[in-house]
Amino acid sequence: MEPLILALGWVGLYAPLALGAVGSMIGCARAGSAACGALLEVESGYGRYIGVAAMPSSQTIYGIVVTMALRRELTLENSPGIFGLGLLAGLALLFSASAQGSACAASINVSKNKLEIFGISLAPAALVEGFAVFAFVFALVLAAGIPK
Amino acid sequence: MAEPYITLVSSLPYLPPFEQADRSPITRLRLEQRLHNLDTDDARQLAKAEALVGWRMSLAKPKTDADMVLRSRAAMQDISQSALREFIEFRIDQQVILAGLRQRNAGADASVLEPVSGASRWVRHIAAHWGDPNFKLAAVYPWIAQARTYLDGNDACALDSLLMHVIWQRLGHIAESNRFGFEAVFAFVFKWDILQAWLARDAVRAKFRFQDLIKEIKDDS
Repeated sequence: MEPLILALGWVGLYAPLALGAVGSMIGCARAGSAACGALLEVESGYGRYIGVAAMPSSQTIYGIVVTMALRRELTLENSPGIFGLGLLAGLALLFSASAQGSACAASINVSKNKLEIFGISLAPAALVEGFAVFAFVFALVLAAGIPK
Repeated sequence: MAEPYITLVSSLPYLPPFEQADRSPITRLRLEQRLHNLDTDDARQLAKAEALVGWRMSLAKPKTDADMVLRSRAAMQDISQSALREFIEFRIDQQVILAGLRQRNAGADASVLEPVSGASRWVRHIAAHWGDPNFKLAAVYPWIAQARTYLDGNDACALDSLLMHVIWQRLGHIAESNRFGFEAVFAFVFKWDILQAWLARDAVRAKFRFQDLIKEIKDDS
């Protein structure tokens, strides 16, 4: 039983980074695909679309920080907490990055024909980012309460 | 939801409402180039659907109702995309209803629908309610009453516009159901087809086309 608990601790430790990275891959691929399509249609402002496509990469950075905050010597006392916190934070980052990719793709798709809505069309993606920040910040707050 | 055509959909331009358009935002050649990104099977199904229910059918138009039924049955066997199938059924229903209205205006009775009995789920219903002004379908297809008015008034342009508008709206709903899927792609293609037909409206060319059709019918008989 003890090795299993410690193994779960390791899973929780690396989950925010790994799941956040998976989410960023999905999100950036979605938004990037839309950006590539839009490049065929627009005459200028290519960097704007590629920049938007990179938005879901922030979840990986949050994952790195949470993993670093959880990093400590794993014991039977702290492994369950690290597992729960790390896994749930990782899932939140994964889904938010994936959803943000879809929101960015939609933004790119509509704004290529109507540049004046470019800013406002990014609002849904920004909202999704906000939820990712909530998950990130509270993961850091709660990580402080896990025994060293 | 599967979003296999994010790049393709994003590479397609915005299509303005067809009544407001003064030019096509993309040529057929360029559209074909973009559609090369379609999966082979999806491209095949789209081509079949276009030939069957496109506003301007790309293949020779069927000579008889029975020919049209045979062609639609054959095409439907090859089309597995449910949204596309639903759209084809919607278009065929529309054509059958319109044919019913035209035939009734010409004084025909319900038996005239027999050759198309397998074409649409509404054929029996229309035959059963031949005497009703809207074939008792106004609740399902609210455009029938307006179409009947235009038919009675011999206003072909207004009727065309109404039917295009109904299809355009339907395609809009289909595209919204999966913004980066096959639904959005085929909705764009059919909308583009309507837009082209709208922009190509030309009284002089129509007259020549009408004369060609008369000649074709005479040659056949």
